[in-house]
Amino acid sequence: MNDMTRVERTVDSKAIKIAANDVQVHYGDTHAIKDVNVEIEDKTVTAFIGPSGCGKSTFLRCLNRMNDTIDICRVTGDILLDGEDIYDKRVDPVQLRAKVGMVFQKPNPFPKSIYDNVAYGPRIHGLAKNKAELDELVEKSLRRGAIWDEVKDRLDAPGTGLSGGQQQRLCIARAVATEPEVLLMDEPCSALDPIATAQVEELIDDLRKRYSVVIVTHSMQQAARVSQKTAFFHLGNLVEFGETGQIFTNPEDPRTESYITGRIG
Amino acid sequence: MSEQHIASAFDRDLETIQAQIMKMGGLVEAAIMSAARALETRDQELAQEVRQGDKAIDALEELINEETARLIALRAPTAGDLRLVLSVLKVSANLERIGDYSKNIAKRTTVLVNAGEINGSAAALRRMAREVERMLRDALDAYIQRDAELAADVIERDHEVDQMYNGLFREFLTFMAEDPRNISSCMHLHFIAKNIERMGDHVTAIAEQVVYLVTGERPSEARPKADNTSQTI
Repeated sequence: MNDMTRVERTVDSKAIKIAANDVQVHYGDTHAIKDVNVEIEDKTVTAFIGPSGCGKSTFLRCLNRMNDTIDICRVTGDILLDGEDIYDKRVDPVQLRAKVGMVFQKPNPFPKSIYDNVAYGPRIHGLAKNKAELDELVEKSLRRGAIWDEVKDRLDAPGTGLSGGQQQRLCIARAVATEPEVLLMDEPCSALDPIATAQVEELIDDLRKRYSVVIVTHSMQQAARVSQKTAFFHLGNLVEFGETGQIFTNPEDPRTESYITGRIG
Repeated sequence: MSEQHIASAFDRDLETIQAQIMKMGGLVEAAIMSAARALETRDQELAQEVRQGDKAIDALEELINEETARLIALRAPTAGDLRLVLSVLKVSANLERIGDYSKNIAKRTTVLVNAGEINGSAAALRRMAREVERMLRDALDAYIQRDAELAADVIERDHEVDQMYNGLFREFLTFMAEDPRNISSCMHLHFIAKNIERMGDHVTAIAEQVVYLVTGERPSEARPKADNTSQTI
């Protein structure tokens, strides 16, 4: 019977991409993340769910040191990317963020052409030797962002002129242009209509062939649709982390059950 | 899960389908007992009532199917809610089958009324039906009270029903061997015994749904199977 289970639900890789050990985050006096231990697998979509203020976005932002930009934010514990501590002094956060890309809630294309939006990262990181290589990289990234066919005839048009859903896919194309290994997405569909959401979700499923994807979402159905692993955060604690199908049919912790079934908890 | 949903209409929807299951369960319990009593007392009218009554059971199953489909579409239930909705679908299907078996017993009763009696078998069948009806009542109680232990107990008790069936099977064989004029009655009586034995299996399936609903896991397959008539010659 096992070979009849839906293949797209199986996790392709058991390789650990990111390991977090005893991570604590403080904003001034506020203890925002408490003792989080989690292992994020490669080539897997991991969803972080939980009520507002539970710490899921804070934790996501720890994974590429976006919290460094907040003065009062203090992160302790280890976060290892392929076994290397990303908070090590020798790690350049800019290089790290090329490897661990991020897509935000609101599409935020640069006020530049579609082409330059995607070419920006490869240029500053020196990923293309010449114009031809850059052209190729831009096309490849736009294809991976599932938006090439819609923009190939107007690459010089401003990125801000696209529809919301297209802008978000452009941002995803921009994020993948630096050949990242991990893609962090913070509510990537909350500003999109259902069709654009479905397109981005389809894209996420495609992206996991190459990357480890971590997505924060308020939509439990979205977590259920796109992820293979789900982590439930509550009041700064990682309450439960498990296979998505298990979390949505038979969660172990009563707090997870209360949250996903829409009860007060 | 005693906590309320934030959306109170969701709670009402879930309560509605469970209330419909309990109503259906009540009708089926009554159908089992009436069918057995009609057989024992050779009551044509009561048998006819059972046959008619099955329509209401079938209609309830239809209603539950529709309500459940609607609830899945509109509420996208998860976790314990999902298991509840799935169990409602399966339990209603099991109840509907038990209703059909009761109806079939009533049908055969109308034939048997005009045939000679087979020594004490109708009383034995009634005892067997009573046991199944008790199991069903306990399974439904376990369902509404989320009592996995009581459900496990019901699953165990199916063994006794199987034993009763085995005994009757042998008895009918003996009667048929003794006098070929008994064959027609015994064939009908045997089908009735088999119907009751199958009812026990459906009650067991309901109890298994209770275990799944409460624990999230299927009960282990190692339940005692005592119906060995398929190997009898």
